[in-house]
Amino acid sequence: MSTDPLIDRLATDLRPVRRRTPWRDATILLALGVIEIACVLTLGLMRPDLSHAVQTPSFWWKTGSLAVIAAVGGATTLLSLDPTRSPRRGLRIVGMLALAALALGWLVDVVQVDPAGFWRRIDPAHGIVCARKIVEMSLPAVLALGLLARRGAPVDARGTAWAVGVTAAAFGALAFALACPFDDPLYLAVWYSVACGVVTLATRLILPILTRW
Amino acid sequence: MTEADWSRWMAAAQAGDADAYRRVLGEAQAWLKRFFLRRLPPSMVDDAVQDTLLAVHEKRHTFDPSQKFGAWIAAIARYKWIDRLRASNRAETTLLDDDLSVEGHEDQVTTAHALERLLGQLKPGQAEAIRLVKLHGLSIEEAARRTGQSATLVKVNIHRGLNRMNAMVMRGGDVD
Repeated sequence: MSTDPLIDRLATDLRPVRRRTPWRDATILLALGVIEIACVLTLGLMRPDLSHAVQTPSFWWKTGSLAVIAAVGGATTLLSLDPTRSPRRGLRIVGMLALAALALGWLVDVVQVDPAGFWRRIDPAHGIVCARKIVEMSLPAVLALGLLARRGAPVDARGTAWAVGVTAAAFGALAFALACPFDDPLYLAVWYSVACGVVTLATRLILPILTRW
Repeated sequence: MTEADWSRWMAAAQAGDADAYRRVLGEAQAWLKRFFLRRLPPSMVDDAVQDTLLAVHEKRHTFDPSQKFGAWIAAIARYKWIDRLRASNRAETTLLDDDLSVEGHEDQVTTAHALERLLGQLKPGQAEAIRLVKLHGLSIEEAARRTGQSATLVKVNIHRGLNRMNAMVMRGGDVD
């Protein structure tokens, strides 16, 4: 079977294409992030005690950790859309950052001694609501990153799916952190981890099917 | 013909230059044929080459002319080869027939050698399960009886073994 007719057909039907650049993709993601956070801040979703919260270490711990994980995860995702790049090294760094964030949270917890009991601190009734909202707020990022992944050429579909999941989850949690009135490190570690885990796992299971090429 | 020529032609193709595109695809076709002959049975090579050329066409906007074209197309070819390994995991067909000594003998031996090298880096249970089911065409139950593993374990070993082989290929650990 000769491939010459195929080459002829592909060359004859050739159309100019706009070259993909990670910087353009990053700009699109950044714009999406700014829009989502602006929506939280302007649509009355922002926590009412934000001015007080910014004085506590746990607020900066949660927002800082999530911002760093979202940034590194986003960079890992965008680089992995080039067929010559692997997301594995970036994923290892994200994993280490997540562990470091949890360790730092433990230190913050020690500083902010809370005498309440374990179950009162975990507060499952509110925790489940927070987790659900984080999942909802992650969806725009999952969609945007998923579309970019479909347009790109990821050769490690599973690795890219992990990266997309972690990035979207961290971004959704970061946006929600501005609305969430809870600052207890134990509560945040449990419920934010649950929500991020759900988003990441679902993305890992679904995205490779949709980005196959 | 240098790597820089390939990259220049591909950049021109991205801008819509059909002649440059025809040249780059022609060169790529010859390279891909050599690539797949070392990794697949000859009967599968033409399909793999065409599939990869279509992927190159579909993803041509992801090529960055500051990169080496060889590395880019090799990554795509490797991805398509892994895709075929995965497909062979789902399908009932086998990667290699028993007619290793008939026409195309040299290429098939190279293919078998490449697979044996990958299998040699797996755990013995995984390699044996893949060899029996995927290369020799035994059913899961027959392989289970032959190896003393449960049917579930045979399936798990095949799945994990193929995933490890895929990872080795991704790292470039297959034949050159």
